[in-house]
Amino acid sequence: MDKILSIPVLVFFPMLISFFIISPLFTNNEISVRRFTKTVLSLHFIYSVLMLVFYNSSNPYETNIHFFGLNWIQSMGINFSFKIDNIGIILTTLTSFIFLIASLASKMNIRKNHKFYYSMLLLLMSAILGIFTTNDMFVFFLFWELELIPAYFLIGGDWGSRENDAQKSAIKFVLFTFFGSMIMLLGILLLHYYNYITTGTLTANFENIFITQIPDGIQYFISICLLIGFGVKLPIIPLHTWLPDAHTKASTPVSIVLAGILLKTGAYGIYRFNYQILEECFKTITPILAILALVNIIYTAFVAYAQTDIKRIVAYSSISNMGLILLGLTACNHTGLSASVFHMVAHALITAGLFMICGIVYLRCKTRNIEILSGLANNMPRLFGFATLIVLASIGIPAFAPFISEILTIISALMSDLSNIIKIVAILSLPLLIISSCYMLKFLHKSFFGEQLEAFEKINDITVHEFVILASVVFGLLLFGIMPQTLLNIIG
Amino acid sequence: MINDLFNILLPQTCLGVFISLQLILAMIISPRFFNSARIISLIGIVLSIILLTTVQTEPQYFAFNNSIMSDSYTLLFHFIILLCSFFVVILSKNICTKIKQHSNVFQAMILTATLGAMSVISANDFITLFISLELLSFPTYFLIASSKGYLSKEASFKYLITNAVSTGVFLFGASYLYGLTGSLNLSEIYEIISEGSQSLIYVFAGLMIIFGILAKLAIFPFANWIIDVYKGSETSVLAFLSTVPKIAVFGILCRLLVFALGNSFELTFIIAIVSVITALWANTYAIREKNVKVILACSSSANASYILLASCLVSVYNLSTVIFYLICYVLINIATFAFLNIAESNNNFVITEDFKGIAKKNFSISIAYTIAILALAGFPITSGFVAKIYLFSAIAHSGLIFIPFLIAILIFTVIALFYYLKLIKPLFENVEKSTLLKTTFSQDFVLFITIAVTIFIGVFPEKLIEICKIIAYNI
Repeated sequence: MDKILSIPVLVFFPMLISFFIISPLFTNNEISVRRFTKTVLSLHFIYSVLMLVFYNSSNPYETNIHFFGLNWIQSMGINFSFKIDNIGIILTTLTSFIFLIASLASKMNIRKNHKFYYSMLLLLMSAILGIFTTNDMFVFFLFWELELIPAYFLIGGDWGSRENDAQKSAIKFVLFTFFGSMIMLLGILLLHYYNYITTGTLTANFENIFITQIPDGIQYFISICLLIGFGVKLPIIPLHTWLPDAHTKASTPVSIVLAGILLKTGAYGIYRFNYQILEECFKTITPILAILALVNIIYTAFVAYAQTDIKRIVAYSSISNMGLILLGLTACNHTGLSASVFHMVAHALITAGLFMICGIVYLRCKTRNIEILSGLANNMPRLFGFATLIVLASIGIPAFAPFISEILTIISALMSDLSNIIKIVAILSLPLLIISSCYMLKFLHKSFFGEQLEAFEKINDITVHEFVILASVVFGLLLFGIMPQTLLNIIG
Repeated sequence: MINDLFNILLPQTCLGVFISLQLILAMIISPRFFNSARIISLIGIVLSIILLTTVQTEPQYFAFNNSIMSDSYTLLFHFIILLCSFFVVILSKNICTKIKQHSNVFQAMILTATLGAMSVISANDFITLFISLELLSFPTYFLIASSKGYLSKEASFKYLITNAVSTGVFLFGASYLYGLTGSLNLSEIYEIISEGSQSLIYVFAGLMIIFGILAKLAIFPFANWIIDVYKGSETSVLAFLSTVPKIAVFGILCRLLVFALGNSFELTFIIAIVSVITALWANTYAIREKNVKVILACSSSANASYILLASCLVSVYNLSTVIFYLICYVLINIATFAFLNIAESNNNFVITEDFKGIAKKNFSISIAYTIAILALAGFPITSGFVAKIYLFSAIAHSGLIFIPFLIAILIFTVIALFYYLKLIKPLFENVEKSTLLKTTFSQDFVLFITIAVTIFIGVFPEKLIEICKIIAYNI
């Protein structure tokens, strides 16, 4: 089995398919493009699940890619080396699943430029999988930059129902992330250089980075550089302004991908660099990070409550949830890490569901304004059922996955032996559960309850296609909510 | 003398023969056969590329009383210069159709400038260097002025004045150096400098010389000409101006920094500051611009300043990154101008908005152009990405004191991305009517070959990096 399951196939297969789709060889027929992509993504999901099933934590998947017998850039010690650890295997499977959901959701939302759209979607998938699996700093950076190109086109592109300012938000997203990644590059370059001074070899492999002899000041500098890079993606509060625009203006499947997976790359980066390599430094600055996480959690929850666009509510709730993931990481203990990863999975499923619901509502009612929407439950009982389940899950009702991760995060922060500030933050962030239920229930209440308006009398309930998507999301939420051990065991 | 000729000068002599041929043909040939001029130039360039194999590189060879030298370093640079001229000549069809009866002279000028650039690289003496620099710049005044309209004449004149001033500065520095050492030969100056202690006057002389040369790249004190020149010139001329002088100047600059001017901290620091100022100027200027050529002018100046920053921090590692960046950069630049050449031959595309919706009917060339611009911005799978991290790592490896410069440049790359996006965004916009651009085989050839090489280097960079390392080590 080990010979069949290899990382290069997992990572580069979508990229190759993406090039194949965009090439003139492939047909222009929209239905065949869509079905082909769906088949490819289903196969990829099966493949990644197989990798998850056969994963053995004592003998993780590991591989090196050589080009004509050489490393990628030998002169800088850069190597296309890949390694999937406990967290990587979960996130790759999650990526595969979310992209499958997004490709299913594309049927209703994408009406133009199919070839280009699906090609970019697959390219983005490859880039994200690369981030989660690579074992080399510069290759990590390569994939980090690579994801910008497809993300720019996906957000700003014209797929049939482009909103005003979509391109503007796409440029905002790219410039913010590019700024972050340039600062991050500085950190990586310094890490590379000081490791060279310490060990005498030029290497960029995560496992061969030794920071013992780097002066303290430089360590903090590197740490902060990297945090700015990841903080743009996560996002940490002052760097978050790109997110609501990008998520709202993008079409539904793109929003699902952005909120479901793209944000997690930031958290993964913090785990990979700050948590693992610059551990001592990270432990010292955790109190500040915990406070930032608290601001993330509370401030954006209030902002979300004030929104009238349902998609914006979901976008701001994402930032709030990302604060929770950050809080789990700052606890610097094993429970915290597990809680973070668990919450990444739970949040990915929830945002996929919520953005799907927003998309369905917008498709039928042509508006997302909460003041205008009313009484949708009458015509769409099935959507109402799913919306209730997912909203309840997102506010942390037991039996759903977010309940477990939220509780675990708070517990881990309370258990943290680093600083009392983290404990205080944990206690202060408890009101999140209340505020989040406020805005989420407001969303549910205003759009689905109330009297039925004339304008929305003729809308139809969800199709089988949409039913499958929402049902799989709810299934995932219930699965990990009832049997959290399945996931926690893999995290170890 | 004959030995010298046959050992290292055959490629240059071949170019000289073809220049004379072109000038003679200009007098006798009928304007109807203007197309033959390009063919003759191509034959000349290909012949000299072939003749490069006859050049002796191991061990180093010195000719004409040590005033001209040849080693693997000069050989590589000669090859890149000839390659760039080859592409430029292919692209020059547009302008040759416009100026018909003068196309032989035009081609002769391109060849002369190429010859000048090659001599700049192999110069081992300040007199040779001075003459070669003039040989490089005089034909370019003609090239810039060759397109119709008032703008090009003005641009040519501005370039002439800037170059005249910078040449004066260069000669001033060289005379100081002669006064200090009693020699004009680079090797001898190096020996004298490395024996004695360096005083500030050496730094002063070195700065004068370097600023004199750097004017050709639009580095800070002499930067303003580039806007006018790019506005007024034909794209094929720009493809020449943005590549060949750059290679020549950086080729000789690295040698000067390593040999003649020694390794003084003051010099390095001042050059670093100047390069950051140039990058600041170029990038902020481009933000408000709408003219495509002006944006590319700023990008050219900014990229030159990044290379300058890496090359002034002299070390073998840095030199290899500089050479690698140069090779990647010139290829990307030629691709960019090949696309603009296609646009120019169809219609008058001036500002970014003119390119609206081009991609709808010209998908493949639009994608190629997008790749070229993304490569300039340094995105992965292109050589631009590898060149960027390699060059930046060189700056990071030069010590803590240069980290602020690195931060500045990293932030400038973010600003640069903003205007690069402005270049490619309109292409993919939705329009009612999209025009189909007519392309010729030669334009497609240049565009797709350079893009293919760009991607190939981006995916398999190690071989080229190894070559650059060996060359840098041999200097």
